[in-house]
Amino acid sequence: MSTRLTKKRWATALGATVATLALAACSGGEQGSASTDDPIVVGISLPLTGDFSEPGKGVQRGYQAWAKIVNEKGGLLGRPVELKILDDQSNADRVVSDYEQLIGQDQVDVVVGPFSTRLVVPAARVAEEYGMLFVEPAGAAKEVFEQGFKNLFYAAPAVANDHYNHLAEYILGLPAGQRPTTAAYAAMDDPFAQGTAYGLKEKLEAGGIRTVVDEVYPPNTTEFSGIAAKIASSKADIVVGGSQYQDGVNLIVALQQLAYQPKLAAFSTAPTSPEFAAAIGNKTEGILAPTGYTQQAPYPSNVEFVEKYTTQFGTPPEEDEANAYTTGQVVAAAITAVGCAEQGDCQRKLIEWVRGNTVETVVGPLSWDATGKPKGAHMIQQWVGGEIQIVLPGDAKEADIVYPKPAW
Amino acid sequence: MTSGALIFQSVVLGLLLGGLYALLASGLTLYFGIMRVVMIAHSAFLILAAYLAWWSHTRFGVDPLLSLVVTVPLFFAAGVLLQRGLLSRLRPATLTMMSVLLTFAIAVIIEGLLGYAFTGTQRRIQLGYGTANLELFGARIAVVKLIAFGLAAAALLTLYLLLKRTTFGWALRATIQHPDAARLVGIDTNRVAGHGFGIGLATAAVGGTALALDTTIYPSLHWHWIGPLMAIIVVGGLGSVPGAAAAAMVLGLTQSLLQIPLNTTWAQTVFYLALLATLAFRPQGFFGGRLAQRF
Repeated sequence: MSTRLTKKRWATALGATVATLALAACSGGEQGSASTDDPIVVGISLPLTGDFSEPGKGVQRGYQAWAKIVNEKGGLLGRPVELKILDDQSNADRVVSDYEQLIGQDQVDVVVGPFSTRLVVPAARVAEEYGMLFVEPAGAAKEVFEQGFKNLFYAAPAVANDHYNHLAEYILGLPAGQRPTTAAYAAMDDPFAQGTAYGLKEKLEAGGIRTVVDEVYPPNTTEFSGIAAKIASSKADIVVGGSQYQDGVNLIVALQQLAYQPKLAAFSTAPTSPEFAAAIGNKTEGILAPTGYTQQAPYPSNVEFVEKYTTQFGTPPEEDEANAYTTGQVVAAAITAVGCAEQGDCQRKLIEWVRGNTVETVVGPLSWDATGKPKGAHMIQQWVGGEIQIVLPGDAKEADIVYPKPAW
Repeated sequence: MTSGALIFQSVVLGLLLGGLYALLASGLTLYFGIMRVVMIAHSAFLILAAYLAWWSHTRFGVDPLLSLVVTVPLFFAAGVLLQRGLLSRLRPATLTMMSVLLTFAIAVIIEGLLGYAFTGTQRRIQLGYGTANLELFGARIAVVKLIAFGLAAAALLTLYLLLKRTTFGWALRATIQHPDAARLVGIDTNRVAGHGFGIGLATAAVGGTALALDTTIYPSLHWHWIGPLMAIIVVGGLGSVPGAAAAAMVLGLTQSLLQIPLNTTWAQTVFYLALLATLAFRPQGFFGGRLAQRF
């Protein structure tokens, strides 16, 4: 670990040196304004091979769909958008040199973020050294926002701990007679999965809902009857799972086998998977889940995105694609509003604009705090009538939330 | 805070879990007994059987238990072929060590083929009775866990009777106890060992099906199982089927009960603590099986 950190520091130091040299070299040159038919070049480094190649390619498709849709409408500021994508091979050292090349050598007009938290931080650091706006589609972990970046914006509705905000608000807003009084939590020992459950836990505890079970399990756990027995025996009013996929499914089935009937059951990730209903059949009714993106979201640009994306790629977009598209939308909104897209002073104006404004996107309106953390929350979906439907917030809902949930 | 009901429920769950562990570990201890083979691929075969049960259920709509009609003979044949064609060719002097490498490769191949055929998507058999349960003095017993336990009991009983009451069983036990002496009295030890290996793999077909009833499966799931199963057969005494069964019950029960005061991480650790204690204080195992002493 320490060697990796050291390496990273070296890379940063090296990056800073190169940056200084590059700036020195540039300052003599002319920063001539681009002519109107020059394309706006968007520089991106993505993991197209290696550990993150699956989501990396998803993000790439999202960016490609965005460029295509923008260009079909005549581009930005009358200029076509062109993507310049480099493959970082899922390697954090590589991502640094990629962004240095894009900004310093290739002189791209704007940059947008790579995939995965691990790569977002070093990439954002390079962009910051060059004073570039850095909107990114991945990197929801809280460390990203603890680095003191002034140029970074996460283009998604919320970080993990805020996923359940709409649900917390709903639960705490229930009349005293209906409001649950006890809650059980089971979370995977993973910053993302645990973050979702603990975000809700913190808010419910502050609202006076007592925690009766708080279990954390290692990521490889497959046997959940023990945890389920504890939860069932506590007779908690509600159960919250900070889950990914198989753990969520196995825990839900284990709870059902013990005839535990909570008033509310919320699990992250698992219930939104297409495989969920195939796994547990008609026992899904009433289960809640937060979601960062759904093809059904009624935001106008989303309807267009889903339609055109499906025509372009043959399948509807998923969350990775949508996050990349959202990133593009944020950058496009800033460029259109400020009226420029090049390196130099323009970037400062773009950063200021994004910080001060709300952008309409495929995941709803987005705005950010000083650290670049989005101020929103995830939509809450519920299995109602054999389908997963948006129930919260009120202005995006497809169905009314069912509480207490029917027996499963 | 801990109620009697929770303890009783945990005991019930622990016994059911122990039964499943016993079934999953029985083949593993048998291979070791027969030919000193450390069969890393055993759990990969379990997952393969689970996938076949899932596939026949989704594809043809048949109850996963029916897939046993095909998978048990299939796995028996595969076991015989594996032993005759590959494992028996290893040099006796380095057999135990080399079998680890060979079966490791087989495990990786099975995992790769499963991923290729069924993708990495995590699957679960959707059963009408998947969450059905019976009540017993306030504790709930899931029907699928009871079926898995029943399968385990039936398979282990069959194995026991086969080893103790049939001529083939005597020949197999003679091969386990002293191959040279067995050959002297006219036992074709090579053939017996092949069949013994086939029986071991046939238990994997039963175990995998039992596992599929109540687990979400994915190609790499076998790595999660091989550690605890190895621990069980060492604690039970390498080569002893009743020993493995007893160790499995004790460890399953302990794991389930430790879950109450501790958490999942520590409850899982019980396998490795038991393994460590066995190796340190009683390398021949706690429940019979004197084989280990000979190494």
